[in-house]
Amino acid sequence: MRLSRATSAASIAAGTAVLALVASGCATDTATGPNEPGGNGKQIELTITTFGTFGYEALYEEYMDLNPNVRIVANNIDTGGNARTDVFTKLGAGSGLSDIVALEEGWLGSIMEVSDRFVDLREYGIEDRGSDWVDWKYQQATDPDGRVIGYGTDIGPEGICFNGPLFEEAGLPSDREGVAELLDGGWDRYFEVGADYLAETGRAWYDHSGFVWNAMVNQLDEGYYTSSGELNVEGNAELRARFDQLAEATLSGQSAAQSAWDWNGGQSFVDGTFATFICPGWMLGVLQGNTEAGGGSADTGWDFADVFPGGAANWGGAFLAIPETSNNKEEAAKLADWLTQPEQQIKQFEAAGTFPSTLEAQQELAANPIPNAFFNDAPVGEILAGRAEGVIAQFKGPDDSLIQENVFGPPLQALDRGEMTADEAWAEALQLLNELVD
Amino acid sequence: MTDTLPRTAAAGDAPGTPSPADANGRTRRRRRWSLSRLDMAASPYLYIAPFFVLFAVTGLFPLVYTLVVSLHDWPLLQGQGDFVGLENFATVLGDRFFWNSIGNTLSIFLLSTIPQLAVALVLASILDQHLKARTFWRMSVLLPYVVTPVAVALIFTNVFNEQSGLVNNLIGLVGIDPIQWKNDVLASHVAIATMVNWRWTGYNTLILLAAMQAVPRDLHESAAIDGAGAARRFFSITIPSIRPTVIFVIITATIGGLQIFAEPRLFDVSNAGGIGGSQRQFQTTVLYLWEMAFFRGDFGRAAAIAWLLFLLIVAIGLVNFAISRRIASVETARISRRAQRRLAAHQGGTR
Repeated sequence: MRLSRATSAASIAAGTAVLALVASGCATDTATGPNEPGGNGKQIELTITTFGTFGYEALYEEYMDLNPNVRIVANNIDTGGNARTDVFTKLGAGSGLSDIVALEEGWLGSIMEVSDRFVDLREYGIEDRGSDWVDWKYQQATDPDGRVIGYGTDIGPEGICFNGPLFEEAGLPSDREGVAELLDGGWDRYFEVGADYLAETGRAWYDHSGFVWNAMVNQLDEGYYTSSGELNVEGNAELRARFDQLAEATLSGQSAAQSAWDWNGGQSFVDGTFATFICPGWMLGVLQGNTEAGGGSADTGWDFADVFPGGAANWGGAFLAIPETSNNKEEAAKLADWLTQPEQQIKQFEAAGTFPSTLEAQQELAANPIPNAFFNDAPVGEILAGRAEGVIAQFKGPDDSLIQENVFGPPLQALDRGEMTADEAWAEALQLLNELVD
Repeated sequence: MTDTLPRTAAAGDAPGTPSPADANGRTRRRRRWSLSRLDMAASPYLYIAPFFVLFAVTGLFPLVYTLVVSLHDWPLLQGQGDFVGLENFATVLGDRFFWNSIGNTLSIFLLSTIPQLAVALVLASILDQHLKARTFWRMSVLLPYVVTPVAVALIFTNVFNEQSGLVNNLIGLVGIDPIQWKNDVLASHVAIATMVNWRWTGYNTLILLAAMQAVPRDLHESAAIDGAGAARRFFSITIPSIRPTVIFVIITATIGGLQIFAEPRLFDVSNAGGIGGSQRQFQTTVLYLWEMAFFRGDFGRAAAIAWLLFLLIVAIGLVNFAISRRIASVETARISRRAQRRLAAHQGGTR
């Protein structure tokens, strides 16, 4: 899931907009009709729907300056979850989708079941650009019939965000390199240091177990589904072992039992409630936004370490797709193509921290590291480029996001609050799996 | 007026033979007469037709279509699938989350309706007194009603924040441990009922106040002369007199209460996709319907839930109807008994 909340007010307002759409079944975003695609001097209106912190605003302006006949009407939905509801409802209704919609990796499994509702971008020359992207990103956007339905925007290689001053208080190394060395190893190492930190300070190590679990699962060759699309939870010894590992750490008090996407209005990032945080590239913008909402700043001491327990992992990342219902497919393809060019991906990264999915942009970021003032001048682009190495694309089944949020979410929260043992929580997850997924 | 000319022109015709023009005029008159008859017969229906046409389009059609959907396998994205008969209904009835949602709905309904009515009654009777700036007070109780439920939910979600919300801060001052408003089942129901109460109490107050003002003042005066105190007059005169209005308020509160959606949907927006708490602590039936349709993408089962909820509301509505009819007949019985007694007394007097 790729979600973010700038402020709770804005998020509820946007959530409400989605609700209103759902409730009335109405479509708001429609392409203007009579304009010919390719428009020779004719005014063309293109609608685009994104979510979370996408960092596209300046790019829209730039594109409109370059193409005076194009007017971009943009809509951004607060969280990935609400965007998913929005897209699925409009797909179900058969109308109302924008000319360009952003799709998130986590719901791609469901989308691929109806991939013929999206334009095959090979008609607009995406094949010539195939080698621009990291190969697995391009693969993810390809359906079983070989149709390519999405221009890759960003990927979510994961590193560890940590709070320097808190590490220092606990007598741990607090510089980026020292932390990377300290946490180098598997999850057992991460929880071991967490136990030391807890013993020293009496405070939690990570914000809540849901994000940690997400990373632990995303990193496996096969997650909730096997590569051939079979459910892969019951009797999966590897998954169970990781669950027990997480449960033990959580029950010992390493989890701060925060509610995700709220973190007490961001205050928990400021008041030292927890010391480490799971950080895919796009999460950097979320962390910064929440810290600032909670009254913090660069002085709060968050930093970004070039390390991730258990090896490389990817969380999220998005695609730009064009629904078959669009009236301006060709112009929409041009815009989506332009937005996902390496140059633009770098600008997007600078605006929102979303790590590029094209090789050229990644190399550029690695070669010319820009210090990020909020994260103690960490060269986040360079670090993320390193973290992206060795990422494998895991097969996402149709109910992947449902399993993550609604099958494992509740038992993990029960663990956070210490209401269940590891065995009870696992049994609860299996029961929910049987009830919710069929 | 136009047919007078041909008639004079035809005046020279032999009497007895009906002139063609005359016949023409008669048919025209007949036609006009039948038109006006048609007008008499059909117009009333045409006048009320817009409502029924609108109802058929926006009420009846969705109702029937929902039934059709509920009998099919119907994924949100793929659309209509196989006909499955009543399987969706069976699955929903066997689903613990459905019964959980019914329980939550009833619990929130009771927690909101009972205090709401009690407070509305008291407020209405206070507003019924001779207060200064009466209109000001009466308008101000309606103020919360103007705010949309979404804004109410937003404000109260903040107030009931578990870590640093207003309520937990206040009870912390008197040494009570913070309450887990979004995790504890009963606490979450109280929080949501508070939102509902805050919004609807003023509205009900005004309806009850209108009814109270229709209670004859002389009843109050004579009771006061007989020595009945304010409380006694409230329970023995005011409440019995406005009983039909109370029944109306209860029925509307029931219908509204069984359809609570916005408040639980927005109380914990992102947790588990906003389906009413991580463990569905405050998932109402409408929210469960929403989850089934738009989160889990199973339209068939969602349609079945919609129908089951519809039947439940009809059932509760019928119970309400029976009760209100019984109360109405008790009233008339009492009145006629009183009339008979008075009549008997009168006759006794003259005899």
